[in-house]
Amino acid sequence: MSDSKAKTTDFGFKTVAEDEKVSLVADVFHSVAAKYDVMNDLMSFGIHRLWKRFTIDCSAVRPGQSVLDLAGGTGDLTALFSKRVGPTGKVVLADINASMLNVGRDKLRDQGLVDNIDYVQANAEALPFADNSFDIITIGFGLRNVTNKSAALASMFRVLKPGGRLLVLEFSKPESELLSKAYDLYSFKLLPKMGQLIANDPDSYQYLAESIRMHPDQETLKQMMEQVGFAEVSYHNLTGGIVALHRGYKF
Amino acid sequence: MMQLWPQLLLSLAEKVLADIIAMDQEAKPRLKRLAGKQFAFQLQELKLRVVLTATDSTILLNQHQEPVDCAIQTDLASLKRLRDPNQLTQLIKQDAVQVEGDLQVAQQFSGFFQQLQPDWSGKLASYLGDGMAHKVEVSLKQMTRVIASKAQQLDQLSTELLQDELQLTPHPLEVEQFSVDVSRLQAKVDRLQQQLTALQE
Ligand SMILES: C[S@@+](CC[C@H](N)C(=O)[O-])C[C@H]1O[C@@H](n2cnc3c(N)ncnc32)[C@H](O)[C@@H]1O
Repeated sequence: MSDSKAKTTDFGFKTVAEDEKVSLVADVFHSVAAKYDVMNDLMSFGIHRLWKRFTIDCSAVRPGQSVLDLAGGTGDLTALFSKRVGPTGKVVLADINASMLNVGRDKLRDQGLVDNIDYVQANAEALPFADNSFDIITIGFGLRNVTNKSAALASMFRVLKPGGRLLVLEFSKPESELLSKAYDLYSFKLLPKMGQLIANDPDSYQYLAESIRMHPDQETLKQMMEQVGFAEVSYHNLTGGIVALHRGYKF
Repeated sequence: MMQLWPQLLLSLAEKVLADIIAMDQEAKPRLKRLAGKQFAFQLQELKLRVVLTATDSTILLNQHQEPVDCAIQTDLASLKRLRDPNQLTQLIKQDAVQVEGDLQVAQQFSGFFQQLQPDWSGKLASYLGDGMAHKVEVSLKQMTRVIASKAQQLDQLSTELLQDELQLTPHPLEVEQFSVDVSRLQAKVDRLQQQLTALQE
């Protein structure tokens, strides 16, 4: 059954077979899991915390709601949601990677957050949840690692309740030329060095920088969301467009 | 970058608030009754609409414009009058305070904050020992008194400044005068209208 022209996709700037990307991405996150939180603070100067709080604000989460934090990794968004939905609500932290899930589970347990959180190892492209299950879905810095983004968005649409909303927090395209240059310099020269020094893992951070550049820009992602059925799709540029938060509704 | 300042401000405020609530032994049982409720508060002078979510151990802060159990909007001048609960109905009638949703929720939140009594000296003592903590407390109290009196002066000044210099918030009397003017004008227009129809016929 082998096709002479096997389907390919991007892995950073490299082109790899589609079924290879999953395991390559897995390697990256197995390798960074332990140092993931420290690196996040360092690389973004702590600003990722504000991007995440902005995401929570845009979700307008209410006590009692059920939330899916997809590609939730070490659970920053899950922690914010868990406190807000309270004992009558529920948060599912789903990630494809067991190492990231473990780091997340330990961290949340240390913060005393246990009762309303479920941990599920799952691929965003084929979510193991019933239709219409969640009021809110977030995917923070996760979509860019997913091989088939449209399949993943469609899967999120399916498990979202009517009236529910999806929030995609992801690196995007800086609005100004100047910022873009500075950002390139930072991410290709400095990031891998920092990755080397702190996590002893320059390759993973080289991948990070490359995968950011390969990710669809604001307008493209907006269209992709609309194509799988999301309505009233809009986005906010944060920190000059280095990051964008897309929001779409299922009606 | 500037657009994230509410998130920065509120995340800091949320931490401080959690610490203060943790310092009051009585706060937790009182929070139980509030837990799961959301209250939004907006000052006209600021663009920020703060959403408070009560949990069973603290109050969380967010920022958005969407529906909550109770939302209150007001301006600085009326806010000061709001401290006197008897003024509330009057302020609502004057449209100086807009309430949406269950007013009881607003009262419960406000009651919670008014009764909040953090045990500062207990907290201090755990760092410094009792004797030292007492000394610090006494000087802190003195300081609070000085600050309070200064704050009052500042308060007065800012109200006057807003009213007179910046003309941002009209004085209640001005609002009253304006309403009177409007109804007079209304009456005039009505009369004119009648004359006009009479003429046309
Ligand atoms: C950069 S981390 C983001 C973690 C967290 N959301 C945050 O913002 O800190 C990306 C996460 O996406 C996960 N991931 C990658 N591909 C995935 C897929 N196909 N399905 C689900 N999760 C995936 C990775 O395992 C990793 O934990």
